[in-house]
Amino acid sequence: MMPFETKTRGFRDLRILLFFICVFAILLVLAGIARLVIISALLAYILDPLVTTLELRGMTRRLATFVLLLLFGIVLAAAACVLVPVLMYQVQSLQSGSVLEHTSSAISRLETLIRIKLGFLGLQEIDLPEKIQEAKRYLGGRVADFLIQDGASLAVHAIFIPFIMFFLLTDGRKMKKDFLRLIPNRYFEFVLYLLYKMDLQLGNYLRGQFADAVVFGVLTTTALWLLKIKYFLFIGAFAGLANLIPLVGPIAGVVPAVVVAVLDTGDVVRGGYVVLAFVVLKLIDDTAVQPLVVGRSVNLHPMLVAIAILVGGQMFGILGMLLAVPCAGFLKVVLSESIATFQKYRFS
Amino acid sequence: MEISWSRAIGHLWKKGKRERTLVDILMSISVFEDLSKRELASVRRILYRREYGPGEVIFRQEEPGMGMYIIQSGRVTILSEPEGLVLSELGEGDFFGELALLDDSPRSATAIAKTGCQVFVFFQPDLLGLIERNPRFGMKIVLRLARILVARLRNADEQVFTLHRELQEIKAKTKGVSQE
Repeated sequence: MMPFETKTRGFRDLRILLFFICVFAILLVLAGIARLVIISALLAYILDPLVTTLELRGMTRRLATFVLLLLFGIVLAAAACVLVPVLMYQVQSLQSGSVLEHTSSAISRLETLIRIKLGFLGLQEIDLPEKIQEAKRYLGGRVADFLIQDGASLAVHAIFIPFIMFFLLTDGRKMKKDFLRLIPNRYFEFVLYLLYKMDLQLGNYLRGQFADAVVFGVLTTTALWLLKIKYFLFIGAFAGLANLIPLVGPIAGVVPAVVVAVLDTGDVVRGGYVVLAFVVLKLIDDTAVQPLVVGRSVNLHPMLVAIAILVGGQMFGILGMLLAVPCAGFLKVVLSESIATFQKYRFS
Repeated sequence: MEISWSRAIGHLWKKGKRERTLVDILMSISVFEDLSKRELASVRRILYRREYGPGEVIFRQEEPGMGMYIIQSGRVTILSEPEGLVLSELGEGDFFGELALLDDSPRSATAIAKTGCQVFVFFQPDLLGLIERNPRFGMKIVLRLARILVARLRNADEQVFTLHRELQEIKAKTKGVSQE
């Protein structure tokens, strides 16, 4: 009457093991595709409650997803229309490597100081202005190369990420059910409970981190714009993203801002203002923004954070470094909840 | 070609029949009595279907309880451990483990499939999500669960009262015998 399987438990366990090995192999071999899927999955996971809210207002899930992605696309397109010309100007300016007159005098003063104080180290002919010009041109060239060479890759991402997100958002529940079908009966409740606990812990954390990065990025960009710092868009966006990385993030955001402020104006006091602005914004972020938007912290050990950033950078580059901490948080929750939940069940 | 068409139609027919049967079963369950057909369809979407072989453990006593099980076909034995005392035997359309929908205490008994059976699992967090997203809908289920529990509590009260009376009678008889 019922199609009861004659498969042994060992065979089913092997099937699950094979599934995870395949997933890991895909992650290693197809790093590019894996990166695309990870970004889409993270964004889909963050946006899922909004789709569910629209669904409960009477829309079908497919329509709700479509409406949300459309709104998302319109906002991004509008932002691109406003920001791309500014961004292009800033890239060109960076690429030209031009240095203002007052900057040159500040650099010359610094060079003289180095010659006098550190001359005994053989730093008589350092030619600091030329070295800084070279570094600036190199950096500008790298940014331009990144934008040009990765333009095609960015276009692919812009098409495929919403595409994958659409299917993850509409068929996510079905995928979860299909995945649970692979789980042997004995572990079904355990896995269901584990997924629930993971969702509970990670949902708020990831959505909070995402919101915090956006808020901090906007605040930094505004502050740098008010202080009339060049490349404020680049540095602001970078500071917002870097803020996702604990410990290193705030420093990584403030260093380029100070360097640009000092080199561009030749005024060290301006650099001080930038540091002050970052300190105030970080305080606002820590005391007002984070408690509001980041529901629950995953609390990672600093050494684990450093290792995660290194591994992420090694596997997926800069994006990997940014995604490393949320991914490490995810793995930590998976492991800690697995152990805690496993102890409550009597598997034998 | 003809064979594949007939197979496809047969598959759709079977699927439709199975889903209709599930909605029928859900309608007959007291927990879902107050729900409309549309609401029942929403419940059906969040249920997990599982198949158990004869003698297979569905859940064990003292393990965390995460949901209610609805039997679509087959028979399930509920027993108390470690004595192995059979508390009840359930069949098609019956449900068990409903207490897990309301509290986080461990399972009070063990459930074992007596024959091969198909069950549907209603997961507690899904019920909580339902309440959060659509309180009116969720409250219909919770209210029904509360009524079931009230009925059981009354029944338990009556049993305690009867047992207490019987105990008093036994005590009185024992006292009389010892006085004689």
